[in-house]
Amino acid sequence: MGQGVFTGLAMVVADELDFPWERVFVSSAPASSTYFDPKMGLQLTGGSTSLKHMLEPMRKLGASLKDLIAHAASIDLSIPKDSLTLKDGKVFYKNQSAPYGRFIKTAMTLRPSQEPKLKKESEFIYIGKSPPRLDIPPKVKAEATFGIDAKAENLLYAIAERPPRFGSKALEFNRSHILKLPEVEEAFILSSGAVGIIARSFWACQIARKELKVVWSESSLKGMDNAELYELFLKRMDKEPSKSTSSGSPQTYIKKATTKIEETFFQPYLYHATIEPMTCLASFDGRSCLVVAPTQSQTWAFDVTKNITALPDKNIEIQTPYLGGGFGRKSHAGFVAEAVELSKRVKKPVKLIYTREDDVRSGFYRPLSVTKVLIAGDSIPRLLSFKISTQPLMGGRASTSGLDDYSFEHTLIERYDVELDIPVWFWRSVGHTHNAFSIEHALDIYAQKFSQDPFKLRMAILKDQRAKSLLEFAKEKWGKLDGAGIAYHSSFGSRVVAIAKARLDKNSVIVERILVAIDIGKRLIHPDLVRQQVEGSVVMGLSLALKEELFIKDGGALSLNFDSYGLLRIDEVPKLDIHILTSDSPMGGVGEPVVPVIAPAVANSLLWTYGIKTNKLPIKPS
Amino acid sequence: MLTKTLSVNSQKRQIRFYESEPLLWVLRERLNLKSVKFGCGVGLCGACTVVIDGQPVRSCTILAKDINGNILTLEGLDKSHPVIKSWISFQVPQCGYCQSGFIMSVYAMTLKKPLPNASEVLSFLSSHICRCGTYERITKAVRSIFPE
Repeated sequence: MGQGVFTGLAMVVADELDFPWERVFVSSAPASSTYFDPKMGLQLTGGSTSLKHMLEPMRKLGASLKDLIAHAASIDLSIPKDSLTLKDGKVFYKNQSAPYGRFIKTAMTLRPSQEPKLKKESEFIYIGKSPPRLDIPPKVKAEATFGIDAKAENLLYAIAERPPRFGSKALEFNRSHILKLPEVEEAFILSSGAVGIIARSFWACQIARKELKVVWSESSLKGMDNAELYELFLKRMDKEPSKSTSSGSPQTYIKKATTKIEETFFQPYLYHATIEPMTCLASFDGRSCLVVAPTQSQTWAFDVTKNITALPDKNIEIQTPYLGGGFGRKSHAGFVAEAVELSKRVKKPVKLIYTREDDVRSGFYRPLSVTKVLIAGDSIPRLLSFKISTQPLMGGRASTSGLDDYSFEHTLIERYDVELDIPVWFWRSVGHTHNAFSIEHALDIYAQKFSQDPFKLRMAILKDQRAKSLLEFAKEKWGKLDGAGIAYHSSFGSRVVAIAKARLDKNSVIVERILVAIDIGKRLIHPDLVRQQVEGSVVMGLSLALKEELFIKDGGALSLNFDSYGLLRIDEVPKLDIHILTSDSPMGGVGEPVVPVIAPAVANSLLWTYGIKTNKLPIKPS
Repeated sequence: MLTKTLSVNSQKRQIRFYESEPLLWVLRERLNLKSVKFGCGVGLCGACTVVIDGQPVRSCTILAKDINGNILTLEGLDKSHPVIKSWISFQVPQCGYCQSGFIMSVYAMTLKKPLPNASEVLSFLSSHICRCGTYERITKAVRSIFPE
């Protein structure tokens, strides 16, 4: 949620409407079925879908608005529609012109066309170009309002103290003492199990928090740490899989195969680390509820608000200011629910702010996983066995996503679901991060063991020409591999190749150069926005490759702030070489598909340069 | 609580706050200077950076009661300052949440005499975090302002 879509969606409307860019402004939509993503049937920024799903509706919106203006102008001016030219926000007629706005009143009385005539590609004025982002001037001039900046009259503040271990809830606390503290208005146990404290200033909440004495319920995770969790996930694979699918005859083929590798990969919980933590202002007065939330889903924010307040739909309003990062985390509406519950209790506006420690403790991480990859074949790989033990997302579908890039004659895919009290959620690219790492690194381990070229090996088994062309393109741009690592992965409708060169400096990994080639399908709306997403995804992908690991100790988060949860910094960014390609395929997404390929490309470079395998992320050569 | 007059963006502001209250919360919630962002609360991310008497300071780690200098936040920075202009021309921000902290740190670097070179500035900026990963553009913007 870098909010490039504010520009991306607006320019599509402005293009069809023929409206001057410098006069365009954007505000976020309220929660309403009017604004539903037609494919998802809700309002949700996720799955790299914003432009992919909304391009056509936005084009139609702009085109039908233009048609309405033309129709209204023809009525107001008594000139046939065909004799009018609409351009640059103006209606031109008989050597004169008038701004669109002059005809709005009449236009409002007309019915918009449902199937307006859309422009031909050659007529686009913005699509394919990179007009400046609309949100950047306010963001650098202290004019932008983020979720945490929300204000209301007589605003109260709240914190939510979370349990030290996952899966436990507050049973009781020293409420009467807390209520006597300065400025404290209320304190109670929230449905989430956290202890909410409401006070007249944020700092009063923090002072009161220090005095809290909470009795927490027992946690099923008591005593658990990362090592034991990995053990638990690994052992899960000794039992029956939750789902098993196969093709060809893997059982018989494996006996015939002359080449074979089997690797186990351990990948940790990942924390979203939005720099703006979870925060929400809710204002419930008994009759209506206003929610100001930096949410990725107005629909889910609305649903939890309705659930808690039982108000009629029309009395609930969801406002979305700018989000200080989302990466999937802010589509979970738990923090919204807490704010609404807090406000409902006191019938006054309450702004809930998670501290960094609260935010980490709230969980909703990318799940930890253990994957076992077996690749077998003769002169080329012909069998893939992929087993993953992880906490399921999307009913388990996320666990096995992105395993179909290559044509293996025999496959065995098994999912071992682990149910655990550590909450997990969508983290940019979701299941693709673990799976692309496992497969892409395993392929190179196979290639190295059997003295094959990693590029040629992929060319031999990649499924389609689009993927092969992209890989060839990337390889040609890079030149001689010479210890560089390749990774390919397709997700969210786009295809991506990364090539990375890494070296060791004492025990730290220095990534010198990364090339990314992305084929986004047939439509490139705003090249610079795509580039921004690629740049950001490389950084996030490299961050997960080299730094990120959420440590669990005694059933709770041990990493509580940025000293113990590492993130990539500016001096660690390699030289970037980014290539954005289009093809005849349907339009793909760009927010997520680049993240998964970075870690395997780096691991593969270390493999070819030093013979070091990476069976555990983040990469920490010893 | 105590009452104190702070000098913020060339204005004297009399304000009540707690003895233990970090400058960050006084600026953003009591004085409504919302560009001063809360990120970590312990000086690890740089989102709350303000400039006090020419020095970049993490406002989450210092107490408001201890501040006697002139505080500058992004609200008080000249909007035609080269740092802001370069941030626009390189289209740096994505979500933008961390950017006011970056901008204030870079602005403070422009006040140094002699002017630091770009590598020195970037090395200083490694104490800031941008989760959207706008580092490449920040690097370009910094290189456009400072000598090599």
